[in-house]
Amino acid sequence: MIYDIRHVTAYAYESPVSFARCSLRLEPKSADGQQLISHSVEIRPRPAERTVRHDFFGTHTESVLIEAAHRNLRIDSRSRVSVSRQVPDRAAPSPSWDDIRDVAFEATSLGPASPIGYVFASALVPVQAPVTAYAAASFPPGGGILSGTADLMRRIRNDFRYDPKATVISTPLQEVFEKRHGVCQDFAHVMIAGLRGLGLPAAYVSGYLRTIPPRGKPRLQGADATHAWVSVWCGAELGWVGFDPTNDIMVENDHIILAVGRDFSDVSPVDGIIVGSRKQKLGVAVDVLPVE
Amino acid sequence: MADQGSNQESKARPGQRRIAQWTRDYARLPGIPDEYIGEDGAPRTAWSRFFDAFAALSPADIERRFASADRHLREAGVTYRAPGETADRLWPLSHLPLIIDEADWQQLTTGIAQRAQLFEMVLRDLYGEGRLVTDGAVPAAAIAGSNEYLRAVCGVKPPGGRHLHLYAADVGRGPDGRWWVLNDRTQAPSGAGYALENRLVLSRAFSNLYKSMNVERVAPFFEAFRDSLRASADRDEPRIGLLTPGVFSETFFEHATLARYLGFLLVEGDDLAVSGDRVHIRTVAGLKRLDVLLRRVDSNFLDPLELDASSHLGVPGLIDVLRKDGVVVANMPGSGVLEAKALLGFLPSLCRRLLGERLIMPHIATWWCGQKSAREEVLSRLEDFAIEGAYGRPVPGFSGNGPVLAGELSSAERDRLRSAIADRGIDYVGQELVRLSTTPVWEQGRITPRPFVLRVFAAATPQGWTILPGGFCRIAEQADARAVSMGDGARSADVWIVSDKAVSASTLLPAAEAVRIRRIAGVVPSRAADNLFWLGRYLERAEATLRLIRALGAPMRDPVKGSSTTLPSVERIQRLLVTWGATSQATRTNPARVVAEALQSPDKFGSALSLAKSAQRTASSLRERLSPDAWQIITEMVERLALQVDDDDSVVSAAELTLQELASLAGLAQENMNRAAGWRFLDMGRRVERAINTARFARQFAYDEAGEEDLDVLLTLVDCQITYRSRYLVGPALAPVRDLAVLDPYNPRSVAFQVATLNDHIAALPSLKEHGLIERPQRLAVALQAMLTTAEAATLDVKTLFALEQDLLNLADAIGLHYFPHGPNASRPEKLTGLA
Repeated sequence: MIYDIRHVTAYAYESPVSFARCSLRLEPKSADGQQLISHSVEIRPRPAERTVRHDFFGTHTESVLIEAAHRNLRIDSRSRVSVSRQVPDRAAPSPSWDDIRDVAFEATSLGPASPIGYVFASALVPVQAPVTAYAAASFPPGGGILSGTADLMRRIRNDFRYDPKATVISTPLQEVFEKRHGVCQDFAHVMIAGLRGLGLPAAYVSGYLRTIPPRGKPRLQGADATHAWVSVWCGAELGWVGFDPTNDIMVENDHIILAVGRDFSDVSPVDGIIVGSRKQKLGVAVDVLPVE
Repeated sequence: MADQGSNQESKARPGQRRIAQWTRDYARLPGIPDEYIGEDGAPRTAWSRFFDAFAALSPADIERRFASADRHLREAGVTYRAPGETADRLWPLSHLPLIIDEADWQQLTTGIAQRAQLFEMVLRDLYGEGRLVTDGAVPAAAIAGSNEYLRAVCGVKPPGGRHLHLYAADVGRGPDGRWWVLNDRTQAPSGAGYALENRLVLSRAFSNLYKSMNVERVAPFFEAFRDSLRASADRDEPRIGLLTPGVFSETFFEHATLARYLGFLLVEGDDLAVSGDRVHIRTVAGLKRLDVLLRRVDSNFLDPLELDASSHLGVPGLIDVLRKDGVVVANMPGSGVLEAKALLGFLPSLCRRLLGERLIMPHIATWWCGQKSAREEVLSRLEDFAIEGAYGRPVPGFSGNGPVLAGELSSAERDRLRSAIADRGIDYVGQELVRLSTTPVWEQGRITPRPFVLRVFAAATPQGWTILPGGFCRIAEQADARAVSMGDGARSADVWIVSDKAVSASTLLPAAEAVRIRRIAGVVPSRAADNLFWLGRYLERAEATLRLIRALGAPMRDPVKGSSTTLPSVERIQRLLVTWGATSQATRTNPARVVAEALQSPDKFGSALSLAKSAQRTASSLRERLSPDAWQIITEMVERLALQVDDDDSVVSAAELTLQELASLAGLAQENMNRAAGWRFLDMGRRVERAINTARFARQFAYDEAGEEDLDVLLTLVDCQITYRSRYLVGPALAPVRDLAVLDPYNPRSVAFQVATLNDHIAALPSLKEHGLIERPQRLAVALQAMLTTAEAATLDVKTLFALEQDLLNLADAIGLHYFPHGPNASRPEKLTGLA
């Protein structure tokens, strides 16, 4: 499947901003069952400086410096990506989750794909006993990692209410968990926290969903903005497998990966520091259309 | 000195008796090594030498010297803040030093230097090739679990060529009497500045004793450290900053002490900006390149753009500058990963592998529960262990910061701990329960053993690691202790490394270890200039308020004048005090309370006490730039103004004493303050405030219909009675008084004099813009001076005086906007709102 993606981020400030230093993580990966065909980012006002590097997680990261005073910042990103993923069935046989945990703890790599980087608390995902206990219900001793994770995903989808007005970026995980509501990012964080509490390696993935579903399928939540889901290490053989708790589906060919990290703070598509305005308004528009 | 007199022989006997009396009840705690009593049960030689010399001092002399040490601490304002507290505490210093024999010390230093080098090599690998982990020499989990493992600097070669510049280890004596390590500090070790201060205090209080003991000097260590940091920069005259979290940090005093002693600029994150591929410091002369940053801010707070986004202590873009080799940061961000206790068990094999040597210093036996065998060992006899977080954080699932003593838990809690360790063993270490070794402290005329921890410092130099001969010793108050935190009522002690020979000539610096004064680099950070400017204004406003109080209170006790101040004048003074927020309209119904309130009401922002406190608060963030004398005067001023006064007489004498102190402060600044260190901004603050106040006084008391009494008050307020009388034989008349107070360029209290001085300062300050136009502060000041030069007293009416006052206020604002645009009121960097 080939997609054309348009992702426009627009900030409007109350008073002029004299300086902005931003990090953009907007270029889809060429890995994990997808291939980047073309990509461009247009920024207004024109930056004084643009430099590109790959961060620790392998994400294409562009540093942008804007020194001209401005009241509006517009970042227009266009990508063409081909996606073709083989996904195990959620009921397929898989290694037991306790084995996965023990193998992960014995890792001998600190690299971005090593499971050991994803079993500890991170900036936005604390490990908390109630969340761990919630997750534990899906993992009976000796149970398979795939079936357990899929069950946890299903329970989150059932127990939590999707409500874009309920939370903001800074809403702590504990509150999301107690009030049982939020958006894709919150669901992903809760699921990650539960898995890590059990010692299971869970990563946060940012990306896109196709906007118009294939004929006969329902329109998915989160399709008109950037989306987020969870990637779980299921042993050396299966590797990292994607789970979308917002929609209770496995990550297959409707998902396009932007970046992978420990939580939102590692992958935030647009991140930055500005000097000048106290109030800002943010608008994001995403369109993901199949090409053929 | 008594201890060097010719009659030493005859003193020996009472001396021995006194020693016996001091030490009579001193006994080692069972099974615990002690500094005074050695392994063989006899006093160690170095301590015996010390007590022999100590006993030669008379009891009265000893008490006097103890008192002098305490006084010095108080006067110098040596403080720390306990976690969670908002007020500074006085530094508690043990009156006895911790004494260590040189031979004993040598063993310790070799072990510490080896450990520092080992850590440097481990860091180089972890953030570089990563072979230690892939080869299995270090489990990945033992690293990945630390939030000090900074992925953002993986693969970044540390500018300056090394990760560790300063390393510290907390040590004590193990059960066999050998030194062992309790904790490693690789991030931003604190305590060296307090060690320095402790040495100054004790070496002064017992100068001859100190000299006679052949104590190793500490100054060469600090010089070596400073020189090495300088050498790590890539230009000859590097600019070095000490990055502090600010005055609210527990150890801010130490940051200021070190910055002053080492000659570094004390900076906060807001003082720095990234531009191009470099870090710059915001100064009154614009952005200036900073070459080296000695940080006292933890890694994760260093860069809100790439690390903890909520941090206000860092510099956005700093990590990227490191990637571009643009600044040396000491220690390199991420060095703190080695403070994880999970790593301790791997050090012996790492030492063999990386240095080809046996690890010299032992540490407390530690089992990391991420390994199966260790986990089983810990779980098999859990109650014998102190359980700690594996990565330098609290024990997961348990409250409190310290270790969890499994033996002291309820059985339910112990079961909870047991299953937590079984599930996520990687988060826990078990440590052998150890008691701290002890050292003597002085208590009510005798010595008694107390547990202590000694922090030893190592600095990297091009010639290898150099160890501070001495260190920062903390002593617990209770007889039995496992861990020591300064918040728990501990005191500190100076640490003397003593030799039976005279210390080598090359290290024999001035006798009493004088602070080596260095000139602060010739740039003034905007924030420091801002604070100096406001310090000047607060002090001057306090002076004006005190003069008003004196004018109101003094005549009533002046037998010659009687109560000559007429009612309208009293009215006017009171009104001024109300406008200034020194007293309230309501209080004026009770005139007797007005002066007391204006002097010392803590609730009135304009009272002399409140202004003195504002000055003190401002001064506290300028500690590295103010002389100890200046700080002492300000502190005394605040203390005195807070003392309860019961009548007008005592109000007036308090006001007078404070005015004298303000005069001596002004004298200190004028005579002693380095002109490169921001003196101009202090003086500008004073001058502009004095000009404003004088203009206001003139408007109030030299109004168009002012009578002799009012003019007399004005002459008193502006301190010109004598000048006036020597010039004019008649009583106060409107035009001459106005001329003297406002226009006379030769009168150091006139408005014209202040404006002329301000013009001199502004002309001498660097110009920021290159477009060749005159800058706003200068434009305003020159215009004011022209007006004052050409004005005539006869036509200087109230309207003109009012306009003058407004122009002066505008000038003060213009100075602030122009020179400190990044001051407290400037806009700060903010995060962009994230995406949902």
